[in-house]
Amino acid sequence: MIRIEDLSVSFGDTEAVKHVSLDLADGEILGVVGESGSGKSVTALTLMGLVSDSARITSGRVLFDDVTLREAGKPCDKALYRTYQGAGMSMVFQEPMTSLNPTKRVGGQVEETLRLHTKMTPGERRECVLEAFRSVGLQNAEKVYASYPHQLSGGMRQRVMIAMAVILHPRLIVADEPTTALDVTIQNQIIGLLREINQKQNNAMLFITHDLNLARKLCSRIAVMKDGEVVESGETESIFEHPAEAYTKRLIEAVPSRMKRKGTIASGEGTKDKTPILKVKDLSVFYKDGNNSLFARKKRQCVVAGADFVLYEGESLGLVGESGCGKTSLSRAILGMNREVDGKIIHATKYPQMIFQDPYGSLNPSKTIGWLLMEPLRARAALDPSWSMTRGEMEEAACDMLRKVGMSDKFFHRKPSQLSGGQRQRVSIGQALITHPALIVADEPVSALDVTIQAQIMELMRKLQREMKLSYLFISHDINVVYQMCDRIMVMKDGRIIEIGETEEIFAHPKEEYTKLLLGNS
Amino acid sequence: MKTQKKRKWNKYLTAGLFMTGFALLLGIVGIFWTPYSTTAMSAAEKFDAPSLRHLFGTDNFGRDIFSRVMEGMGTTVVISSLVVLFSGTFGILLGALTGYFGGLLDEIVMRVTDAVNGFPSILLTLVIISILGSGRQNVILSLGIVFIPSYIRIVRSEFIRLRDADYIMRARLMGAGRMRILFVHILPNIFSVFWVSVMIGFNNAILAESGMSYLGIGVQPPDASLGKMLSDAQGYLQTAPWYALAPGLAIVWVVLGFALFGEGIRRQKVD
Repeated sequence: MIRIEDLSVSFGDTEAVKHVSLDLADGEILGVVGESGSGKSVTALTLMGLVSDSARITSGRVLFDDVTLREAGKPCDKALYRTYQGAGMSMVFQEPMTSLNPTKRVGGQVEETLRLHTKMTPGERRECVLEAFRSVGLQNAEKVYASYPHQLSGGMRQRVMIAMAVILHPRLIVADEPTTALDVTIQNQIIGLLREINQKQNNAMLFITHDLNLARKLCSRIAVMKDGEVVESGETESIFEHPAEAYTKRLIEAVPSRMKRKGTIASGEGTKDKTPILKVKDLSVFYKDGNNSLFARKKRQCVVAGADFVLYEGESLGLVGESGCGKTSLSRAILGMNREVDGKIIHATKYPQMIFQDPYGSLNPSKTIGWLLMEPLRARAALDPSWSMTRGEMEEAACDMLRKVGMSDKFFHRKPSQLSGGQRQRVSIGQALITHPALIVADEPVSALDVTIQAQIMELMRKLQREMKLSYLFISHDINVVYQMCDRIMVMKDGRIIEIGETEEIFAHPKEEYTKLLLGNS
Repeated sequence: MKTQKKRKWNKYLTAGLFMTGFALLLGIVGIFWTPYSTTAMSAAEKFDAPSLRHLFGTDNFGRDIFSRVMEGMGTTVVISSLVVLFSGTFGILLGALTGYFGGLLDEIVMRVTDAVNGFPSILLTLVIISILGSGRQNVILSLGIVFIPSYIRIVRSEFIRLRDADYIMRARLMGAGRMRILFVHILPNIFSVFWVSVMIGFNNAILAESGMSYLGIGVQPPDASLGKMLSDAQGYLQTAPWYALAPGLAIVWVVLGFALFGEGIRRQKVD
């Protein structure tokens, strides 16, 4: 039904998509898998006629039922596209927060598609929207119809987006990372929903993702993209079992999975005779309501209640939970960044450090890498004279650290903006470790990275743990990542730690329903 | 997304640099040397039209207007620079402290700036001048005070935006002192925004100084200033239009130059 033949798209001098050929039949789900910058989104946007005007098609064409939608050398025929958009093909975007208009009720927004493409009366349109809401599993459709986007949860918003995409029963649905912004448990519901719609309406689906596991669950065929090219395509299972290309192999291996656990250092030994490095006793963390006005009464909201655990030397303790469960608040309290706490936090060491999630926000953009690595030493010297060093010694230490995190000295004078995400995360780790802290709080350190980079950073963190005898409090929403990294795991839900135990034990015999749900979903 | 223009030479910056550079040069030279004495009167040369002898012609006392524009430019630029320096420094200090710490200090400072903003600025300078008396220093002081709030607002909002950034949290974690975080970690990151407002502020200062001189509460005779010249020329608009045109064009030239310069800096940062 859809054929993309030899498509190449360039922006200026850079070629984003190179000679890509894909085809898609009715009722089929094709997964396009690749890391960021592999050209998968540009391919989809070109197919949909939504790619920006600065893009040029340098070769190939896009066919929909043998009608040429887009051809090399010709400008985008917007009028032609409009006859297909909505009714013939539709799209589900990644970010459900921004793809709905915040000032309009969602019912009206979905209805607009009908108003543009059908001749229904207002009453019929309303019925049709409510029907669509019910079919995507939104309970209380009437109430959702009258809600504004901000009144809905992320999962509900994504369901609304899907309802909007399928309401006209289009023959092609392009889903661009539709679950990436959602929590794991919601993620699976959405995947199930997409599969159900595909079976019911028999439409073709182009599913774009960076997550191989998701693609495996949903798609019948997979195309792997790298640097704008399709490096491999075929039936899903055959690709997973016998990847032909080295890149595909690497991609599959990089995906953290429960099948192949890489041993951590502390495994095997009991935790009884170990020295605790951090004790948390009956800790509750509060959050002051944000209103900064002088006369507003400050309300305290409890975000973590009764946390109780011990972290031992040289151990990695995982903290798993969905967004909003309080894991970040707990970590901030442990680091002393939030003083609105009850209970006790006992540190055996001074100055615990942190590794942040977003490698683009955690390095000061106005400084050089060398300056960033030396700053912790300067700050420490100001607090503790025994740390004072000459400039030469500091530079030496910074270069050492650069090498330790797997980067060369030539980065010393560069700025963060000249580095890739993975390199930034390495610098970020180096910055945390340069003062030799014993405790590191890692808040989703690999979530913002591509899978292959993810594997490298996890490997680096393990290596540094061995070399520098670090203890990690490792926070993640991805239970597979935690499985790979941690000796023990804590599961957190709604501000409470509901389960804590050895990794293997929790995975083999989860006690709580919620833990089972988390495990079952990944 | 990458576009084809990779750091193309910024035309705004070039034009701005040329115009401000020329004006500054004229002004600085004018402080030390002018073709004619700015106070030398000559009854024989009253209202001479522009010629090679007198580039911009002469005024009602037969003084060379080009020389007076040079001197006036110098006065105006020096006053405006000092005004921006004064208000910018206090703006950064107060904006940084209020934005980063918030709380009671923030509340007080913001209400005071609201109050200052509530008055028309020319009225406020008038009040300050009438208390302190006229004269160069007092012009600078009064304009400086009037301009502080605009800088506080800009700096404060940038500090609020950046105080919760991950890299600032990291700086706190590594034990950096508060003042170090404020002025070493955060301040360099707001400069691109701050520079633009300095350029705009500079323009406003030039216009305000000219306006004050025009009203007669600015620089006192025999000092030349562009605004003063404009107000003197008013009566001779019909007979000697060049008298008003010269300082007027000079003001336009400087203001436009700085506006282009500021825009150039902003674009340079965005690209």
